[in-house]
Amino acid sequence: MRSVVPSLACLVLLALAPRAARADGTLLSDDTWNVTSCGCWTIDGGLVVGFPAALPTGLTRGIGGGVTYGHRFTAGARASWSTATESTPAWQVTQSDLRLRVTGGVEHIAGRGSLGLRLGLGGTLVHESRLRSQGMRAGLTGDALSTSAFAMLPALDIEAVAAVHVFGPWLLVISGGPTLDVFEGSGHGAWTAELGVAWQP
Amino acid sequence: MATLRLAIARGLTPAIARTVPLALVLAGCGDLVGFGGPVTPLATIDINVSGDPMADAPRVALVWGAPYLIEPLCFLPPETPEVAAVLAQGCRDPFGFLPDRVGANAELVGSTAEISLFELPAADVMVGDVTARVAYGTFVLYDDRDGNGTLDLGRPRRPVSPDDEGPPGQDSVDIVRGASFVSMTEPDQRLAFREGAFIQTAFYPRAGCGAPLLAFSVLAAGGFTAQDAIAATLRGELPTEDPASCAQSPVEAAPIVITVRPPEEVTEVACTERRVDSSTRYRDPPVEMPDLTNRLLACAGLPDFGGGPSSDVIQLLVSSATDARCRGLTHYVLRGCDNDPNCEMPEWDLTATPPAWWPCPTGSM
Repeated sequence: MRSVVPSLACLVLLALAPRAARADGTLLSDDTWNVTSCGCWTIDGGLVVGFPAALPTGLTRGIGGGVTYGHRFTAGARASWSTATESTPAWQVTQSDLRLRVTGGVEHIAGRGSLGLRLGLGGTLVHESRLRSQGMRAGLTGDALSTSAFAMLPALDIEAVAAVHVFGPWLLVISGGPTLDVFEGSGHGAWTAELGVAWQP
Repeated sequence: MATLRLAIARGLTPAIARTVPLALVLAGCGDLVGFGGPVTPLATIDINVSGDPMADAPRVALVWGAPYLIEPLCFLPPETPEVAAVLAQGCRDPFGFLPDRVGANAELVGSTAEISLFELPAADVMVGDVTARVAYGTFVLYDDRDGNGTLDLGRPRRPVSPDDEGPPGQDSVDIVRGASFVSMTEPDQRLAFREGAFIQTAFYPRAGCGAPLLAFSVLAAGGFTAQDAIAATLRGELPTEDPASCAQSPVEAAPIVITVRPPEEVTEVACTERRVDSSTRYRDPPVEMPDLTNRLLACAGLPDFGGGPSSDVIQLLVSSATDARCRGLTHYVLRGCDNDPNCEMPEWDLTATPPAWWPCPTGSM
Protein backbone atom coordinates (compact mmCIF):
# COMPACT_ATOMS: atom_id res chain seq x y z
CA MET A 1 0.00 0.00 0.00
CA ARG A 2 2.82 2.39 0.93
CA SER A 3 4.47 1.94 -2.45
CA VAL A 4 1.23 2.23 -4.41
CA VAL A 5 0.14 5.59 -3.02
CA PRO A 6 3.20 7.63 -4.02
CA SER A 7 3.35 5.96 -7.42
CA LEU A 8 -0.28 6.74 -8.11
CA ALA A 9 0.14 10.29 -6.87
CA CYS A 10 3.08 10.76 -9.26
CA LEU A 11 1.02 9.50 -12.16
CA VAL A 12 -1.78 11.87 -11.32
CA LEU A 13 0.55 14.83 -11.02
CA LEU A 14 2.27 13.99 -14.28
CA ALA A 15 -1.04 13.66 -16.03
CA LEU A 16 -2.41 16.88 -14.64
CA ALA A 17 0.69 18.91 -15.25
CA PRO A 18 1.02 20.86 -18.52
CA ARG A 19 3.03 18.84 -20.96
CA ALA A 20 5.51 21.59 -21.66
CA ALA A 21 6.04 25.22 -21.18
CA ARG A 22 4.15 27.20 -23.75
CA ALA A 23 5.81 29.18 -26.50
CA ASP A 24 4.82 32.47 -24.93
CA GLY A 25 6.48 31.39 -21.70
CA THR A 26 3.32 30.96 -19.60
CA LEU A 27 2.44 27.71 -17.92
CA LEU A 28 -1.32 28.32 -17.94
CA SER A 29 -3.58 29.86 -20.54
CA ASP A 30 -7.28 30.60 -20.87
CA ASP A 31 -8.04 27.19 -22.33
CA THR A 32 -6.02 25.15 -19.90
CA TRP A 33 -9.10 24.07 -17.95
CA ASN A 34 -11.38 23.57 -20.92
CA VAL A 35 -13.15 20.27 -21.17
CA THR A 36 -12.02 18.73 -24.39
CA SER A 37 -13.89 15.49 -24.40
CA CYS A 38 -17.33 14.16 -23.60
CA GLY A 39 -16.96 10.69 -25.08
CA CYS A 40 -18.96 7.63 -24.15
CA TRP A 41 -16.09 5.64 -22.71
CA THR A 42 -14.54 6.40 -19.37
CA ILE A 43 -11.61 4.61 -17.83
CA ASP A 44 -10.87 5.29 -14.21
CA GLY A 45 -8.57 4.13 -11.46
CA GLY A 46 -7.80 5.06 -7.90
CA LEU A 47 -7.41 4.14 -4.30
CA VAL A 48 -9.96 1.88 -2.68
CA VAL A 49 -10.86 1.55 0.97
CA GLY A 50 -13.65 -0.42 2.50
CA PHE A 51 -14.84 -3.03 4.88
CA PRO A 52 -13.45 -6.50 4.19
CA ALA A 53 -15.73 -8.88 2.36
CA ALA A 54 -15.42 -11.71 4.84
CA LEU A 55 -13.58 -10.46 7.91
CA PRO A 56 -15.74 -9.26 10.79
CA THR A 57 -13.53 -6.23 11.39
CA GLY A 58 -10.81 -4.16 9.82
CA LEU A 59 -10.24 -1.76 6.95
CA THR A 60 -9.26 -3.12 3.58
CA ARG A 61 -7.12 -0.88 1.39
CA GLY A 62 -5.94 -1.17 -2.17
CA ILE A 63 -6.45 -0.05 -5.73
CA GLY A 64 -9.28 -0.32 -8.18
CA GLY A 65 -10.43 0.72 -11.57
CA GLY A 66 -13.00 0.21 -14.22
CA VAL A 67 -14.40 1.07 -17.55
CA THR A 68 -17.77 2.67 -18.12
CA TYR A 69 -19.73 3.18 -21.31
CA GLY A 70 -22.54 5.61 -21.90
CA HIS A 71 -24.18 8.74 -20.62
CA ARG A 72 -27.37 8.97 -18.59
CA PHE A 73 -27.56 5.14 -18.62
CA THR A 74 -24.19 3.49 -18.17
CA ALA A 75 -22.73 0.03 -18.19
CA GLY A 76 -19.29 -1.24 -17.47
CA ALA A 77 -17.00 -3.48 -15.57
CA ARG A 78 -14.91 -2.85 -12.49
CA ALA A 79 -12.22 -4.57 -10.52
CA SER A 80 -10.42 -3.74 -7.33
CA TRP A 81 -7.85 -5.42 -5.17
CA SER A 82 -7.42 -4.64 -1.51
CA THR A 83 -6.06 -6.28 1.60
CA ALA A 84 -6.77 -6.16 5.29
CA THR A 85 -4.78 -7.69 8.13
CA GLU A 86 -6.23 -8.11 11.58
CA SER A 87 -5.05 -10.02 14.65
CA THR A 88 -6.36 -11.85 17.65
CA PRO A 89 -4.28 -13.48 20.37
CA ALA A 90 -4.43 -16.69 18.34
CA TRP A 91 -4.36 -15.65 14.69
CA GLN A 92 -3.09 -13.02 12.32
CA VAL A 93 -5.45 -13.07 9.38
CA THR A 94 -4.83 -11.36 6.05
CA GLN A 95 -7.59 -11.32 3.51
CA SER A 96 -7.12 -10.01 0.00
CA ASP A 97 -10.35 -9.10 -1.76
CA LEU A 98 -10.46 -9.11 -5.53
CA ARG A 99 -13.80 -7.50 -6.35
CA LEU A 100 -15.03 -8.16 -9.86
CA ARG A 101 -18.23 -6.42 -10.91
CA VAL A 102 -20.37 -5.86 -13.91
CA THR A 103 -22.01 -2.49 -13.46
CA GLY A 104 -24.99 -0.60 -14.68
CA GLY A 105 -26.23 2.77 -13.61
CA VAL A 106 -27.66 6.15 -14.25
CA GLU A 107 -25.97 9.52 -14.20
CA HIS A 108 -26.93 13.14 -14.40
CA ILE A 109 -24.57 15.62 -15.97
CA ALA A 110 -24.45 19.02 -14.34
CA GLY A 111 -21.97 21.56 -15.70
CA ARG A 112 -18.44 20.16 -15.52
CA GLY A 113 -19.49 17.33 -13.31
CA SER A 114 -21.81 14.42 -13.06
CA LEU A 115 -23.65 12.57 -10.33
CA GLY A 116 -24.71 8.98 -10.65
CA LEU A 117 -25.80 5.81 -9.06
CA ARG A 118 -24.03 2.59 -9.96
CA LEU A 119 -25.20 -0.95 -9.34
CA GLY A 120 -22.55 -3.64 -9.38
CA LEU A 121 -23.10 -7.32 -9.55
CA GLY A 122 -20.47 -10.01 -9.49
CA GLY A 123 -18.20 -11.75 -7.09
CA THR A 124 -15.44 -11.10 -4.62
CA LEU A 125 -12.57 -13.50 -4.78
CA VAL A 126 -11.13 -13.67 -1.28
CA HIS A 127 -7.72 -15.08 -0.52
CA GLU A 128 -7.19 -15.69 3.14
CA SER A 129 -3.89 -16.42 4.83
CA ARG A 130 -3.81 -17.19 8.52
CA LEU A 131 -0.69 -17.15 10.63
CA ARG A 132 -0.73 -18.63 14.11
CA SER A 133 0.25 -15.88 16.49
CA GLN A 134 3.56 -16.66 18.18
CA GLY A 135 3.76 -19.80 16.05
CA MET A 136 7.19 -19.04 14.64
CA ARG A 137 8.56 -18.35 18.11
CA ALA A 138 7.15 -21.67 19.21
CA GLY A 139 8.75 -23.49 16.29
CA LEU A 140 5.55 -24.44 14.49
CA THR A 141 5.78 -25.34 10.83
CA GLY A 142 3.44 -26.28 8.00
CA ASP A 143 -0.29 -26.15 8.49
CA ALA A 144 0.17 -25.74 12.22
CA LEU A 145 1.83 -22.40 11.51
CA SER A 146 -0.15 -21.03 8.60
CA THR A 147 -3.03 -21.87 6.32
CA SER A 148 -4.52 -20.28 3.24
CA ALA A 149 -7.78 -20.56 1.38
CA PHE A 150 -9.68 -19.09 -1.54
CA ALA A 151 -13.37 -18.41 -1.83
CA MET A 152 -15.54 -16.64 -4.33
CA LEU A 153 -18.39 -14.76 -2.73
CA PRO A 154 -21.36 -13.54 -4.76
CA ALA A 155 -21.66 -9.81 -4.23
CA LEU A 156 -23.78 -6.78 -4.92
CA ASP A 157 -22.78 -3.09 -4.70
CA ILE A 158 -24.69 0.14 -4.84
CA GLU A 159 -22.44 3.14 -5.18
CA ALA A 160 -22.96 6.82 -5.54
CA VAL A 161 -20.56 8.27 -8.09
CA ALA A 162 -19.48 11.87 -8.45
CA ALA A 163 -17.11 13.05 -11.16
CA VAL A 164 -15.86 16.43 -12.20
CA HIS A 165 -13.89 17.42 -15.28
CA VAL A 166 -10.62 18.99 -14.25
CA PHE A 167 -9.14 19.72 -17.62
CA GLY A 168 -8.95 18.15 -21.00
CA PRO A 169 -10.03 14.52 -20.86
CA TRP A 170 -9.26 14.14 -17.19
CA LEU A 171 -11.77 13.84 -14.35
CA LEU A 172 -11.61 13.49 -10.62
CA VAL A 173 -13.88 10.69 -9.50
CA ILE A 174 -15.15 9.72 -6.09
CA SER A 175 -17.54 6.90 -5.37
CA GLY A 176 -18.78 4.87 -2.45
CA GLY A 177 -21.62 2.91 -1.03
CA PRO A 178 -22.76 -0.28 0.61
CA THR A 179 -21.87 -3.75 -0.57
CA LEU A 180 -23.32 -7.12 0.18
CA ASP A 181 -21.32 -10.34 0.01
CA VAL A 182 -22.91 -13.72 0.47
CA PHE A 183 -20.68 -15.55 2.92
CA GLU A 184 -21.48 -18.89 4.51
CA GLY A 185 -25.06 -18.71 3.33
CA SER A 186 -25.84 -15.31 4.74
CA GLY A 187 -25.35 -11.76 3.72
CA HIS A 188 -22.31 -9.88 4.97
CA GLY A 189 -22.82 -6.17 4.77
CA ALA A 190 -19.89 -3.91 4.09
CA TRP A 191 -18.98 -0.71 2.35
CA THR A 192 -16.48 0.46 -0.17
CA ALA A 193 -15.20 3.81 -1.39
CA GLU A 194 -12.86 4.89 -4.12
CA LEU A 195 -11.03 8.10 -4.92
CA GLY A 196 -9.34 8.31 -8.27
CA VAL A 197 -8.96 9.87 -11.66
CA ALA A 198 -10.72 9.06 -14.89
CA TRP A 199 -9.83 9.48 -18.49
CA GLN A 200 -12.61 10.22 -20.93
CA PRO A 201 -11.29 10.38 -24.49
CA MET B 1 -29.40 2.53 -25.89
CA ALA B 2 -28.79 0.52 -29.00
CA THR B 3 -25.12 1.32 -28.74
CA LEU B 4 -25.14 0.31 -25.11
CA ARG B 5 -26.78 -3.00 -25.87
CA LEU B 6 -24.29 -3.57 -28.65
CA ALA B 7 -21.40 -2.89 -26.35
CA ILE B 8 -22.75 -5.25 -23.77
CA ALA B 9 -23.35 -7.89 -26.36
CA ARG B 10 -19.90 -7.56 -27.89
CA GLY B 11 -17.70 -6.83 -24.96
CA LEU B 12 -19.14 -7.68 -21.60
CA THR B 13 -20.99 -10.90 -22.27
CA PRO B 14 -17.84 -12.85 -23.17
CA ALA B 15 -16.16 -11.42 -20.11
CA ILE B 16 -18.98 -12.63 -17.94
CA ALA B 17 -18.95 -15.94 -19.68
CA ARG B 18 -15.28 -16.32 -18.81
CA THR B 19 -15.57 -14.99 -15.28
CA VAL B 20 -18.47 -17.08 -14.05
CA PRO B 21 -16.87 -20.50 -14.59
CA LEU B 22 -13.66 -19.21 -13.05
CA ALA B 23 -15.60 -18.02 -10.05
CA LEU B 24 -17.35 -21.35 -9.72
CA VAL B 25 -14.04 -23.15 -9.81
CA LEU B 26 -12.41 -20.87 -7.28
CA ALA B 27 -15.42 -21.04 -5.00
CA GLY B 28 -14.56 -24.63 -4.29
CA CYS B 29 -10.92 -24.03 -3.44
CA GLY B 30 -11.27 -23.75 0.30
CA ASP B 31 -13.17 -22.36 3.20
CA LEU B 32 -12.52 -19.03 4.78
CA VAL B 33 -12.05 -19.40 8.49
CA GLY B 34 -11.16 -15.90 9.56
CA PHE B 35 -10.63 -15.77 13.29
CA GLY B 36 -12.72 -18.91 13.86
CA GLY B 37 -11.90 -22.57 13.84
CA PRO B 38 -9.86 -24.53 16.32
CA VAL B 39 -6.75 -22.85 17.65
CA THR B 40 -3.55 -24.76 17.04
CA PRO B 41 -1.66 -25.42 20.28
CA LEU B 42 1.88 -24.10 20.33
CA ALA B 43 3.04 -27.30 22.00
CA THR B 44 1.47 -30.44 23.41
CA ILE B 45 3.11 -32.41 26.18
CA ASP B 46 2.20 -35.92 27.28
CA ILE B 47 2.45 -36.72 30.98
CA ASN B 48 2.49 -40.14 32.58
CA VAL B 49 1.94 -40.56 36.30
CA SER B 50 3.64 -43.37 38.14
CA GLY B 51 1.73 -44.44 41.23
CA ASP B 52 -1.70 -43.83 42.67
CA PRO B 53 -2.29 -40.09 43.05
CA MET B 54 -4.94 -40.72 45.74
CA ALA B 55 -6.80 -37.62 44.66
CA ASP B 56 -10.45 -36.80 44.22
CA ALA B 57 -9.78 -34.48 41.30
CA PRO B 58 -6.31 -35.27 40.00
CA ARG B 59 -4.92 -32.72 37.59
CA VAL B 60 -1.55 -31.76 36.20
CA ALA B 61 -0.32 -28.19 35.93
CA LEU B 62 2.58 -26.63 34.09
CA VAL B 63 4.22 -24.16 36.45
CA TRP B 64 6.85 -21.73 35.20
CA GLY B 65 9.76 -21.18 37.54
CA ALA B 66 11.21 -18.02 39.02
CA PRO B 67 14.85 -17.32 39.79
CA TYR B 68 15.39 -17.54 43.49
CA LEU B 69 18.08 -16.71 45.99
CA ILE B 70 17.31 -17.77 49.50
CA GLU B 71 17.85 -15.37 52.38
CA PRO B 72 21.27 -15.48 54.07
CA LEU B 73 20.14 -16.89 57.41
CA CYS B 74 18.99 -20.05 55.66
CA PHE B 75 22.45 -21.00 54.38
CA LEU B 76 24.75 -19.55 57.05
CA PRO B 77 25.67 -21.73 60.04
CA PRO B 78 23.09 -21.16 62.79
CA GLU B 79 24.21 -19.43 65.97
CA THR B 80 22.38 -21.65 68.42
CA PRO B 81 20.36 -24.86 68.43
CA GLU B 82 17.22 -22.76 68.88
CA VAL B 83 18.01 -20.79 65.76
CA ALA B 84 18.80 -24.03 63.93
CA ALA B 85 15.37 -25.39 64.86
CA VAL B 86 13.62 -22.25 63.61
CA LEU B 87 15.55 -22.35 60.34
CA ALA B 88 14.81 -26.04 59.88
CA GLN B 89 11.11 -25.32 60.14
CA GLY B 90 11.08 -21.99 58.30
CA CYS B 91 13.57 -22.29 55.46
CA ARG B 92 12.66 -23.91 52.19
CA ASP B 93 15.04 -26.06 50.14
CA PRO B 94 17.63 -23.59 48.76
CA PHE B 95 17.93 -25.76 45.65
CA GLY B 96 14.22 -26.26 45.24
CA PHE B 97 11.99 -25.12 42.40
CA LEU B 98 10.27 -21.81 43.05
CA PRO B 99 7.04 -21.29 41.12
CA ASP B 100 6.28 -18.04 39.38
CA ARG B 101 2.92 -18.74 37.78
CA VAL B 102 0.77 -21.52 36.45
CA GLY B 103 0.91 -21.80 32.67
CA ALA B 104 -1.64 -24.51 31.90
CA ASN B 105 -3.69 -27.26 33.49
CA ALA B 106 -5.07 -30.57 32.33
CA GLU B 107 -7.14 -33.32 33.81
CA LEU B 108 -5.45 -36.58 34.67
CA VAL B 109 -7.28 -39.41 32.92
CA GLY B 110 -6.19 -42.77 34.25
CA SER B 111 -2.50 -42.24 34.61
CA THR B 112 -1.98 -39.88 31.68
CA ALA B 113 -2.59 -36.28 30.90
CA GLU B 114 -2.03 -34.09 27.89
CA ILE B 115 -1.23 -30.43 28.32
CA SER B 116 -1.65 -28.19 25.31
CA LEU B 117 0.01 -24.81 25.44
CA PHE B 118 -1.77 -21.98 23.66
CA GLU B 119 0.48 -19.21 24.92
CA LEU B 120 4.20 -18.77 25.15
CA PRO B 121 5.73 -18.06 28.53
CA ALA B 122 5.62 -14.36 29.25
CA ALA B 123 8.83 -12.36 29.09
CA ASP B 124 8.89 -11.94 32.85
CA VAL B 125 9.27 -15.68 33.45
CA MET B 126 12.18 -15.85 31.06
CA VAL B 127 15.73 -15.16 32.14
CA GLY B 128 18.04 -13.33 29.76
CA ASP B 129 17.51 -10.71 27.09
CA VAL B 130 15.76 -10.98 23.76
CA THR B 131 18.86 -12.43 22.11
CA ALA B 132 19.28 -15.26 24.61
CA ARG B 133 16.63 -16.15 27.12
CA VAL B 134 15.10 -19.23 28.59
CA ALA B 135 12.18 -20.26 30.79
CA TYR B 136 11.89 -23.46 32.78
CA GLY B 137 8.76 -25.14 33.97
CA THR B 138 7.81 -28.11 36.10
CA PHE B 139 4.77 -30.32 35.79
CA VAL B 140 2.88 -30.63 39.05
CA LEU B 141 0.46 -33.40 39.90
CA TYR B 142 -2.14 -32.10 42.34
CA ASP B 143 -5.50 -32.75 43.86
CA ASP B 144 -7.77 -29.90 42.82
CA ARG B 145 -9.51 -29.62 46.18
CA ASP B 146 -11.37 -26.40 45.44
CA GLY B 147 -12.40 -27.59 41.99
CA ASN B 148 -11.45 -24.38 40.23
CA GLY B 149 -9.54 -26.26 37.54
CA THR B 150 -6.16 -24.72 38.23
CA LEU B 151 -3.36 -25.16 40.70
CA ASP B 152 -3.50 -22.44 43.34
CA LEU B 153 -0.11 -21.30 44.52
CA GLY B 154 0.36 -20.66 48.20
CA ARG B 155 2.54 -18.24 50.10
CA PRO B 156 4.09 -18.51 53.56
CA ARG B 157 1.81 -17.28 56.33
CA ARG B 158 3.43 -14.85 58.68
CA PRO B 159 2.09 -14.41 62.21
CA VAL B 160 -1.18 -12.53 62.24
CA SER B 161 -1.41 -9.47 64.45
CA PRO B 162 -4.22 -6.93 64.85
CA ASP B 163 -2.19 -4.01 63.52
CA ASP B 164 -0.74 -5.92 60.61
CA GLU B 165 -0.79 -4.41 57.16
CA GLY B 166 -1.36 -6.38 54.01
CA PRO B 167 -2.37 -9.99 53.53
CA PRO B 168 -0.52 -12.42 55.78
CA GLY B 169 -0.22 -15.06 53.04
CA GLN B 170 -2.16 -18.23 52.64
CA ASP B 171 -1.77 -21.90 52.02
CA SER B 172 -3.10 -23.42 48.86
CA VAL B 173 -6.15 -25.61 49.24
CA ASP B 174 -4.86 -27.87 46.50
CA ILE B 175 -2.60 -30.72 47.56
CA VAL B 176 0.53 -31.41 45.57
CA ARG B 177 1.16 -35.12 44.95
CA GLY B 178 4.21 -34.99 42.76
CA ALA B 179 6.25 -32.93 40.33
CA SER B 180 8.66 -33.56 37.51
CA PHE B 181 11.11 -30.97 38.83
CA VAL B 182 11.19 -30.54 42.60
CA SER B 183 14.79 -29.68 43.36
CA MET B 184 18.13 -29.36 41.63
CA THR B 185 19.48 -31.96 44.06
CA GLU B 186 17.16 -34.61 42.57
CA PRO B 187 16.73 -36.03 39.08
CA ASP B 188 14.35 -33.82 37.18
CA GLN B 189 12.44 -33.42 33.96
CA ARG B 190 11.55 -29.89 33.03
CA LEU B 191 9.99 -28.02 30.15
CA ALA B 192 12.22 -25.41 28.60
CA PHE B 193 11.39 -22.59 26.28
CA ARG B 194 14.43 -21.05 24.68
CA GLU B 195 14.76 -18.05 22.39
CA GLY B 196 18.01 -17.07 20.72
CA ALA B 197 21.33 -18.26 22.02
CA PHE B 198 21.71 -20.19 25.25
CA ILE B 199 23.87 -18.89 28.05
CA GLN B 200 24.36 -21.08 31.09
CA THR B 201 23.43 -19.08 34.17
CA ALA B 202 22.56 -19.81 37.77
CA PHE B 203 18.88 -19.99 36.80
CA TYR B 204 18.29 -23.67 37.61
CA PRO B 205 21.69 -24.50 36.08
CA ARG B 206 22.43 -27.62 34.08
CA ALA B 207 26.17 -27.19 33.65
CA GLY B 208 27.60 -30.21 31.88
CA CYS B 209 24.40 -30.82 29.92
CA GLY B 210 23.60 -29.72 26.39
CA ALA B 211 21.74 -26.55 25.62
CA PRO B 212 17.95 -26.65 25.41
CA LEU B 213 16.56 -26.91 21.90
CA LEU B 214 15.11 -23.79 20.33
CA ALA B 215 11.50 -23.10 21.31
CA PHE B 216 9.94 -25.80 23.49
CA SER B 217 11.89 -28.85 24.62
CA VAL B 218 11.96 -31.33 27.46
CA LEU B 219 15.13 -31.45 29.51
CA ALA B 220 16.32 -34.05 31.96
CA ALA B 221 19.19 -34.03 34.43
CA GLY B 222 20.30 -36.24 37.28
CA GLY B 223 20.80 -33.49 39.85
CA PHE B 224 23.81 -32.57 41.98
CA THR B 225 24.44 -32.75 45.68
CA ALA B 226 24.21 -29.75 47.98
CA GLN B 227 27.87 -30.25 48.91
CA ASP B 228 28.91 -30.14 45.26
CA ALA B 229 26.86 -27.01 44.76
CA ILE B 230 28.44 -25.24 47.73
CA ALA B 231 31.93 -26.26 46.67
CA ALA B 232 31.33 -25.10 43.11
CA THR B 233 29.90 -21.82 44.32
CA LEU B 234 32.94 -21.18 46.48
CA ARG B 235 35.08 -21.76 43.39
CA GLY B 236 32.93 -19.27 41.49
CA GLU B 237 31.52 -21.99 39.26
CA LEU B 238 28.21 -23.65 38.61
CA PRO B 239 27.66 -27.18 39.93
CA THR B 240 27.85 -29.72 37.15
CA GLU B 241 25.46 -32.47 36.21
CA ASP B 242 26.50 -35.94 35.18
CA PRO B 243 26.41 -35.73 31.36
CA ALA B 244 25.11 -39.29 31.22
CA SER B 245 21.98 -38.20 33.05
CA CYS B 246 21.26 -35.29 30.69
CA ALA B 247 18.75 -35.23 27.87
CA GLN B 248 17.34 -32.59 25.59
CA SER B 249 14.40 -33.71 23.51
CA PRO B 250 11.57 -32.25 21.44
CA VAL B 251 8.37 -32.17 23.45
CA GLU B 252 6.64 -34.75 21.24
CA ALA B 253 9.49 -37.21 21.73
CA ALA B 254 9.81 -37.19 25.50
CA PRO B 255 6.79 -37.78 27.70
CA ILE B 256 7.02 -36.37 31.18
CA VAL B 257 6.95 -38.88 34.03
CA ILE B 258 5.72 -37.79 37.45
CA THR B 259 6.16 -40.11 40.39
CA VAL B 260 3.60 -39.83 43.18
CA ARG B 261 5.24 -38.74 46.42
CA PRO B 262 4.12 -37.76 49.91
CA PRO B 263 2.74 -34.21 49.83
CA GLU B 264 5.19 -32.95 52.45
CA GLU B 265 8.10 -33.76 50.10
CA VAL B 266 6.78 -31.83 47.14
CA THR B 267 4.40 -29.19 48.43
CA GLU B 268 6.98 -26.41 48.10
CA VAL B 269 6.75 -26.46 44.31
CA ALA B 270 3.42 -24.69 44.79
CA CYS B 271 4.72 -22.12 47.28
CA THR B 272 5.76 -18.69 46.08
CA GLU B 273 7.97 -16.26 47.98
CA ARG B 274 7.54 -12.58 48.70
CA ARG B 275 11.20 -11.90 48.05
CA VAL B 276 13.36 -13.85 45.62
CA ASP B 277 16.57 -11.77 45.66
CA SER B 278 18.02 -12.98 48.96
CA SER B 279 16.95 -9.80 50.71
CA THR B 280 15.19 -9.90 54.08
CA ARG B 281 12.07 -8.01 55.04
CA TYR B 282 12.19 -6.79 58.65
CA ARG B 283 9.09 -5.87 60.60
CA ASP B 284 8.39 -3.88 63.71
CA PRO B 285 6.91 -6.03 66.45
CA PRO B 286 3.21 -5.36 67.03
CA VAL B 287 2.06 -4.04 70.38
CA GLU B 288 -0.18 -7.02 70.89
CA MET B 289 1.39 -10.42 70.75
CA PRO B 290 0.76 -12.02 67.36
CA ASP B 291 -0.64 -15.50 67.02
CA LEU B 292 2.44 -17.73 67.38
CA THR B 293 0.61 -21.03 67.66
CA ASN B 294 2.65 -23.95 66.30
CA ARG B 295 5.53 -21.64 65.46
CA LEU B 296 9.10 -21.73 66.69
CA LEU B 297 10.87 -18.62 67.99
CA ALA B 298 14.51 -17.75 68.47
CA CYS B 299 16.55 -14.64 69.07
CA ALA B 300 19.44 -14.17 66.68
CA GLY B 301 21.90 -11.60 65.48
CA LEU B 302 21.92 -10.29 61.97
CA PRO B 303 23.76 -12.23 59.26
CA ASP B 304 27.39 -11.17 59.26
CA PHE B 305 29.50 -11.58 56.14
CA GLY B 306 32.47 -9.83 57.69
CA GLY B 307 32.28 -6.88 55.34
CA GLY B 308 31.79 -4.16 57.92
CA PRO B 309 31.25 -3.38 61.56
CA SER B 310 29.17 -5.98 63.32
CA SER B 311 25.66 -5.01 64.30
CA ASP B 312 24.29 -5.31 67.82
CA VAL B 313 20.71 -5.53 66.60
CA ILE B 314 18.86 -8.58 67.86
CA GLN B 315 16.07 -9.99 65.75
CA LEU B 316 13.26 -12.28 66.70
CA LEU B 317 12.98 -15.12 64.23
CA VAL B 318 9.59 -16.75 63.87
CA SER B 319 9.14 -19.82 61.73
CA SER B 320 6.08 -20.81 59.77
CA ALA B 321 3.61 -23.01 61.64
CA THR B 322 4.20 -26.72 61.80
CA ASP B 323 0.94 -27.35 59.95
CA ALA B 324 1.68 -24.81 57.22
CA ARG B 325 2.35 -26.08 53.72
CA CYS B 326 4.56 -23.16 52.76
CA ARG B 327 7.66 -22.50 54.81
CA GLY B 328 8.77 -19.03 55.73
CA LEU B 329 10.58 -16.87 58.25
CA THR B 330 9.36 -13.68 59.87
CA HIS B 331 11.94 -11.23 61.19
CA TYR B 332 11.06 -8.77 63.96
CA VAL B 333 13.48 -6.06 65.11
CA LEU B 334 12.88 -3.32 67.65
CA ARG B 335 14.60 -0.70 65.56
CA GLY B 336 15.21 -0.36 61.87
CA CYS B 337 13.77 -0.13 58.40
CA ASP B 338 12.05 -2.61 56.10
CA ASN B 339 15.25 -3.58 54.31
CA ASP B 340 17.93 -2.71 56.83
CA PRO B 341 17.84 -2.89 60.64
CA ASN B 342 20.97 -0.73 60.73
CA CYS B 343 19.53 2.13 58.70
CA GLU B 344 20.55 5.59 59.90
CA MET B 345 16.98 6.95 59.90
CA PRO B 346 14.94 4.11 61.40
CA GLU B 347 11.31 3.85 60.43
CA TRP B 348 10.56 2.55 63.90
CA ASP B 349 12.47 2.45 67.18
CA LEU B 350 10.96 0.53 70.06
CA THR B 351 14.19 -0.11 71.91
CA ALA B 352 13.09 2.16 74.75
CA THR B 353 9.57 0.76 74.95
CA PRO B 354 9.56 -2.79 73.64
CA PRO B 355 6.24 -4.66 73.55
CA ALA B 356 5.44 -6.55 76.70
CA TRP B 357 5.65 -9.90 74.88
CA TRP B 358 9.10 -9.20 73.33
CA PRO B 359 11.19 -12.21 74.31
CA CYS B 360 14.65 -11.06 73.19
CA PRO B 361 17.23 -8.75 74.76
CA THR B 362 16.78 -5.15 73.77
CA GLY B 363 20.54 -4.65 73.34
CA SER B 364 23.32 -6.85 72.06
CA MET B 365 23.37 -10.55 72.85
